[in-house]
Amino acid sequence: MKPVRVIKPAVGTRRLDDPRTARVLVDGDGTPTDVDGQPVAHVRESWLIEDRWWTDQPLHRRYWELVSQSGRDIVVFRDLLGGSWFRHR
Amino acid sequence: MTGKHGQPPMTRAVTGYVELHCHSAYSFLDGASMPDELVGAAAELGHETLALTDHDGVWGSMEFAHAARGLGLRPIHGAELTLDDDRHVTLLVASAAGWTNLCRLLTIAHAHTRDSPATLAPPKAGVQALRDHAEGLVCLTGCAERGVHDEPSVRRLLDAFGPDRLRVELQRPFLASDRARNRSLESLAGHLGLRCVATGNIHAHARSRAHLQDAFVALRHNLTLESSEPLRRPNGAHVLSSPAAMAARFREHPAAVAETAAVAAQLDFDLTSDLGYRYPGVEDETADRRLGELCRARLHDRYEAGGLAAAGARLDEELRVIRALGLPGFFLLHHDMLELAREVALDVRGPDTARALLPPGRGRGSSVSSIVCYLTGLSHIDPISSGLSMGRFLNPELSSVPDIDLDFPRDIREVLIRRVHERYGHDRAALVATFPSFRSRAAIRELGKVLGLPPAEIERVARGANGFSRRIDRDVETALGPNHGRSGRWAWLESLSREAYGLPRHVSQHPGGMVIATRPLIDCVPIVPAAMEGRQLVQWDKDSCADAGFLKIDLLGLGMLSAVERCVETIAQTRGERVDLSRIPFDDKATYTAIQNAETTGVFQIESRAQMQSLRRTRPANLDELTVQVAIIRPGPIQGGAVNPYIERRRRLRDDPDYKPPCLHPSLESVLRETLGTIIFQDQVMEVAQAFCGFSPGEADGLRRAMSRKRSDAAIARYRDRFIAGAADHVGAPQALAQTVWEMVAGFAGFGFPKAHSAAFGLLAYQSTWLRVHYGPEFLCALLNEQPMGFYPPDSLVHEAQRRGIDLLAVDINASAAECSVDATGGVRIGLGYVSGVRSEEIAALIEARDQTGAFKNLAELAGCASACQPSLEQLAWSGACDALAGDRRRALWELGIAAPGRRVPGGVQLALGLETGDAPALRELGRWEVLLADYATTGVSVGDHAMAILRPHLHGITTSLELDRLPHGSTVAVAGIVVARQRPETASGVVFMLIEDELGTVNLIVPPPVYDRHRHIVRAEPLVLVHGRLERPAHGGGTVNVLVSTLRSLEPEHLERFGSAGARLPDNRQAETHAGEHHPEPERIAAAGGLRAVAPPVQSFGSGRRR
Repeated sequence: MKPVRVIKPAVGTRRLDDPRTARVLVDGDGTPTDVDGQPVAHVRESWLIEDRWWTDQPLHRRYWELVSQSGRDIVVFRDLLGGSWFRHR
Repeated sequence: MTGKHGQPPMTRAVTGYVELHCHSAYSFLDGASMPDELVGAAAELGHETLALTDHDGVWGSMEFAHAARGLGLRPIHGAELTLDDDRHVTLLVASAAGWTNLCRLLTIAHAHTRDSPATLAPPKAGVQALRDHAEGLVCLTGCAERGVHDEPSVRRLLDAFGPDRLRVELQRPFLASDRARNRSLESLAGHLGLRCVATGNIHAHARSRAHLQDAFVALRHNLTLESSEPLRRPNGAHVLSSPAAMAARFREHPAAVAETAAVAAQLDFDLTSDLGYRYPGVEDETADRRLGELCRARLHDRYEAGGLAAAGARLDEELRVIRALGLPGFFLLHHDMLELAREVALDVRGPDTARALLPPGRGRGSSVSSIVCYLTGLSHIDPISSGLSMGRFLNPELSSVPDIDLDFPRDIREVLIRRVHERYGHDRAALVATFPSFRSRAAIRELGKVLGLPPAEIERVARGANGFSRRIDRDVETALGPNHGRSGRWAWLESLSREAYGLPRHVSQHPGGMVIATRPLIDCVPIVPAAMEGRQLVQWDKDSCADAGFLKIDLLGLGMLSAVERCVETIAQTRGERVDLSRIPFDDKATYTAIQNAETTGVFQIESRAQMQSLRRTRPANLDELTVQVAIIRPGPIQGGAVNPYIERRRRLRDDPDYKPPCLHPSLESVLRETLGTIIFQDQVMEVAQAFCGFSPGEADGLRRAMSRKRSDAAIARYRDRFIAGAADHVGAPQALAQTVWEMVAGFAGFGFPKAHSAAFGLLAYQSTWLRVHYGPEFLCALLNEQPMGFYPPDSLVHEAQRRGIDLLAVDINASAAECSVDATGGVRIGLGYVSGVRSEEIAALIEARDQTGAFKNLAELAGCASACQPSLEQLAWSGACDALAGDRRRALWELGIAAPGRRVPGGVQLALGLETGDAPALRELGRWEVLLADYATTGVSVGDHAMAILRPHLHGITTSLELDRLPHGSTVAVAGIVVARQRPETASGVVFMLIEDELGTVNLIVPPPVYDRHRHIVRAEPLVLVHGRLERPAHGGGTVNVLVSTLRSLEPEHLERFGSAGARLPDNRQAETHAGEHHPEPERIAAAGGLRAVAPPVQSFGSGRRR
């Protein structure tokens, strides 16, 4: 019998723009005030995505586009099904 | 601008957030909630006002207005109009003039949607039209995605509407572009001096419908959910929210939130009172006098001296009520319509035909009870001699215009509808709309596709589904196995189908309801072109039209009237007799014998399986009893528990003429005497309410109307308390008795006939039976030529006719006409038009060629005349039409293959050479089964062998339909046959009734729910079944025999060997050859031919009409 060949993903590769977990502090309305230790200076926009509800991987996210006090543009979302925060950029 | 009561509309107090942009399911395949659901949710969420703004229509506005009024919510009417460049504006009605302008705008938008008959173009209106019809409307600049957002366009709107009636519309659908867009719009508004207003662009009343809205978008674009992602709404922000939540959503735009209330205060239009519709003739002061003169002039013609006084008194009373209600013009209009119909009938029938003796049409429905209708020709039933009271049709408290329904033969109706449009003008006459809604089968097919489920599995589930059941999960499990429907996409299918159930799918036209107006109808309701050329629809269904007080005339096509006319004409041609159906004997013994023996296949109304069973027990012996008979098999009497008591009392009365049927209360005796103490007719509901509870005629009519409308449970319940209290006050009835009578009345809430309608239909039932009895071949021929109509498909009609000795002749290229015909010997010849796949022009050309050159002598001559294409000729050959030229079907096909017809080629027709085809090689003859399949595949009718006659030698232990009559009650039997009808009435608690046919007659099967659940796919789809069960012959059933089914199997010749246990067997080839030379079915040959399932004749199937 031939040995089974296992294809392993190359170490260190990941999909571009894959969301990463983030540590987000929010105010009483649920608006982010701090992302990964960077205080939020301004909320540029917030939007909702609810899709793929008919599949095994439904998607329900609240996105926030923020400007940090250092002037950096940050996009985070809260997974409304699991409750965790993720960062897109 | 001032309000309708002369007050400034700005005085209306409105505070908080008002939803001004909301779609219902009448934004077809976009909105996902009915108007009443939106109203209910809005009231619950704390809204006091709500606007309905469906896409390019006001289809649901009347329903919305009434639902809102019921819950104390203030309705605002409007629409989201699509402009020429596909952008949207939201229009809201501020006044009656605004409603008129909205209707005209929507009519303009739809004017060119049917320019190409094959496709439905989207409605669109130009900005110029908007400018021309801006008065009385408030315009918002439209939705976030497709609104008018550029300065030049908004300026054009500003020119049209002015700053007071134009707002810049801000929406917050939680897109990534919201903030930028709204800031830009706010800036534009500031620049132009306009105010902004916030709206929610609502598409669903609850979260549970948000997913359905996604599915609708995918369905509308014919895509799956996956592939429609760019077109769908990204989230559920389009679900109705509370005013507080909406104010919070727009917290950055508080002025726009406040402006919603300001706009709402500006709108002052009530659709339920401000429509301004008047029906034709109402303004004519001479109408009363003219109607009286018309009726009195005819009174002496219609009544003998003895009956004149009673008729005159009744006429005076009706004329007085008509005058008091302001309806003389209405009756004159109908008379005018009938005169128009008379002209049309003369044109359609020709002056010298036998059918010219017949009236152009006849009344149905409650109008038949009116002596005015009788005298003006609208009804053919004498209400005096038939004992018809006018209360259901006319009473002094009438709350809306009575309906007049007229039946016409199909050909006359087609022309008449066109002429009515011409006579009254295209802006004043239109057909009523209907909205076909999602039922389980359509939902499974369409939503299953959207979910990307496997097509074959979807079809399997859909075919086995019960049309009116919402238990899709059961349908899935029955079709695909247990647990299949409980998870994943199948579970979503169940959930989406349940939510979609009953929502309108698209627009269609009512079978014949027309609305006619004096002022242009487009001032009251938008008119849109119908799919059929030359016809147009109002944007409301019959309930909305009734709520609007529109005069509606039903011009209905009745297949039996067409058949009767054809029959009369055929009798004149074949026998030289002119039959006047109004002068035939109405006490003909042979006719009543046929009715009492249920020999009524093909006749009007009393031919169905259920009617036949009932006829043997009720044994009608005159027109009055036939009138009851027509009304009895209806949901109303069945649910009201009237049927069995009536039949039993009728039997006892037959046995003992002194028998007194029981009656629940003396006050009901006169009301229910004729129907032996039961409620059979719709008018009796009213009469009981008046006699027992002291209801006024108007109140009683209100109860009747509540019963006849859809979604009426709540309305009926409201009448219950008044009924019980009234019974106590009026006749001193104790509550328990009042409750019993109420249950009889409330049970009737399903559909039932008014007595007048039954009298009209009973007469036609008698006339058609009389024709069947005395002119059998001509009547059968007429039925075959008027298909589709009636309960039985042509194949069953043919077999039944053969059983009673009518000679049926196969289709023949030299002997058949285009339609079926009666030949000199009294045989009925199947027409060439029955061969499917051959175009009518080809048939006409073949007949013309035959008439010119004489009968075709051989196939080369037939093929050479180039009148039909090769596939059509092959189809004719396969149908057996060329057997006389070639010997049999295979040889005919072979010869046609050699003798190619003239072919159309670029540049002209390549004529065929009239060469001899030569001798065909030795071709195996077709077996009897193969001939049967060929018959069904081509004409759908088998005039030769019955399928069961072929199979019978191989089926042992199977009882024939004839033998069943001799077996005792309770016998265990096995029967087999071809399925003729399958029915699962809502009133039968899940029991399925099937009618199967063998070569000797028919057998009624009763399939109990557990057996149905076990064999659902066989019951629903198999054309040939083998059944085991118990014979039931009810006492006093008049000889009715049923088989209560315990097991059910499909029966195909290739399966025969498997039925060894049932006693059936397929002989081996040697046996077959020695069986009197017969050709027995061979499984391989039959499989190669596709089996019966592929070509089975259509049957009456589960209320969905005929289908294979």
